[in-house]
Amino acid sequence: MFDKILIANRGEIALRVLRACKELGIATVAVHSTADEDAMHVRLADESVCIGPPAAKDSYLNIPALLAACEISGADAVHPGYGFLSENARFAEILGEHNVQFIGPRPEHIRLMGDKIAAKRAAKELGIPVVPGSDGDIGSEAQAQRLAHEIGYPLMLKAAAGGGGRGMRVVTRESELASAFASARAEAKAAFGDDTLYLEKYLSRPRHIEIQVLGDGKGAAIHLGERDCSLQRRHQKVWEEGPSPALNNNMRDGIGETVAKAMRAIKYLGVGTVEFLYEDGKFYFIEMNTRIQVEHPVTEMITDIDLILEQVRVAAGGDLQLRQDEVKFHGHAIECRINAENPVSFRPSPGKIVHYHPPGGLGVRVDSAVYHGYTIPPYYDSLVGKLIVRGKTRSECLMRLKRALDEFVVDGIETTLPLFRALAREKDVIDGQYHIHWLEEFLARSGLPE
Amino acid sequence: MARKSDSPGMPAIDHEAIRELAKLLDETGLTEIAVERGGVSIRVARHSSGTGGRARGAESPVPAPTTVAASPLAADPSQHPGVVASPMVGTAYLAPEPGARPFVEVGALVKTGEPLMIIEAMKTMNQIPAPRPGTVIQILVEDGQPVEYGQPLMIIE
Repeated sequence: MFDKILIANRGEIALRVLRACKELGIATVAVHSTADEDAMHVRLADESVCIGPPAAKDSYLNIPALLAACEISGADAVHPGYGFLSENARFAEILGEHNVQFIGPRPEHIRLMGDKIAAKRAAKELGIPVVPGSDGDIGSEAQAQRLAHEIGYPLMLKAAAGGGGRGMRVVTRESELASAFASARAEAKAAFGDDTLYLEKYLSRPRHIEIQVLGDGKGAAIHLGERDCSLQRRHQKVWEEGPSPALNNNMRDGIGETVAKAMRAIKYLGVGTVEFLYEDGKFYFIEMNTRIQVEHPVTEMITDIDLILEQVRVAAGGDLQLRQDEVKFHGHAIECRINAENPVSFRPSPGKIVHYHPPGGLGVRVDSAVYHGYTIPPYYDSLVGKLIVRGKTRSECLMRLKRALDEFVVDGIETTLPLFRALAREKDVIDGQYHIHWLEEFLARSGLPE
Repeated sequence: MARKSDSPGMPAIDHEAIRELAKLLDETGLTEIAVERGGVSIRVARHSSGTGGRARGAESPVPAPTTVAASPLAADPSQHPGVVASPMVGTAYLAPEPGARPFVEVGALVKTGEPLMIIEAMKTMNQIPAPRPGTVIQILVEDGQPVEYGQPLMIIE
């Protein structure tokens, strides 16, 4: 087991990782920019190292500074959190060269899943259902036309170097294809430096359902169920829940086992999430994230398994001790991502929190690094915290969520709490009847910006 | 802060006067103040780091609160206008090689760009240049000490 872990991240996930380390008795090193000197996890860590000025590229993305911090602190492992360098294969490799363990998958798998075309090909080979499409990059508009005839419209042009919702364009009919192809290429080149495109059937009203996996790198892997993350705004998840209101046990076991089997085949190490679009009873692979995800607490609340702890254990060489039949799902959990944004315009609202009261009670969890008197810096993402609520049933969970949202006080900045209070009372949400466009349609109906 | 109990036969110790003198020291930046009044003399001195103070007999009843080894000249060196802050994370070395003379010592006059120390990270040595000309009045890190970004390294006035 590791003696000392350097937490290469900030905000709520850094605090989350710190908590797991403390429970495991592992010493913690918090690296931070000058803007995060007063961060809660920095205050609680055993050691801290300031690694640069506020800008992420000079601090949290600054590989030499992170390596130097490992060197002077004697850390033997690095937890990269999510975002930042968590899916940077080169960073994982460099750490390995310096005898520091990267807590995450092997670089080859980070690379494989980072290339969206290669990931899709690999998924297909591993028996994971994929969205019908080009099976590789499309070299020409003529090739795109041919494929479009096979797959049918509507379809989606996607940048191979994109991902996370970026670099995608819908084409509804043949007459649009030529110009869409040309402009998608140009945009991809400008945004990602790579104009490689691929093509997929476009699903009009799918749900976003993702499967959590855990592997020990030695051939053992399990799934930990799904999370339904269909409620999104501009491709950013806003509300996540598990189990999905759309799946039954058979479907869950089916897709879960398909994914776990694939992870066993590649001897996957660590946690990961395989994301699908789900429509009319069918799953379609879109991408795999080779890191811990923001919404991991949803899975933790219904399985009672600490995913960060498991991540650290397998990274330290431990065997997977959980068998699939030992993974049980109890009750229902919902997570709301609360941002420091105006709930109507979504304009960012950094600043000082003059009054903070998080809700509590049975089945209520708040993962947040914010505290009374804390000033949210303007340089990073606007996540204030995650409210995760659990109930024995989905109805109980929704009642508890309403209560917890109403109790939550964050004064001094604007937050999206009012949006969640409205969602928790909205019929389609209560009925679980939504899809990936639902939230934007709801915002448009309410006269709010999409 | 060290305290010494009164011994019999000594006049009563005027703590207020000593505190006043110590305060004057800080305010004026002097290194020593001696006052004689009514047959009692009080001397309050500040020892600068690295050089040790002038030794004196134990007549001074109470050591000044500021005579502590390596006392900072300012309460918070990072606020000093002459501070040189570390531009990187690593290990600070005060000399170009082990056993060699340090780049600079307290009291040295430096020109802009002159190397003050080396910070090593992952086997690469990075020279830290003086950002402005002046006199090195304080060196705030020890040879071989790990340093973080923004950490005060030296004060140059």
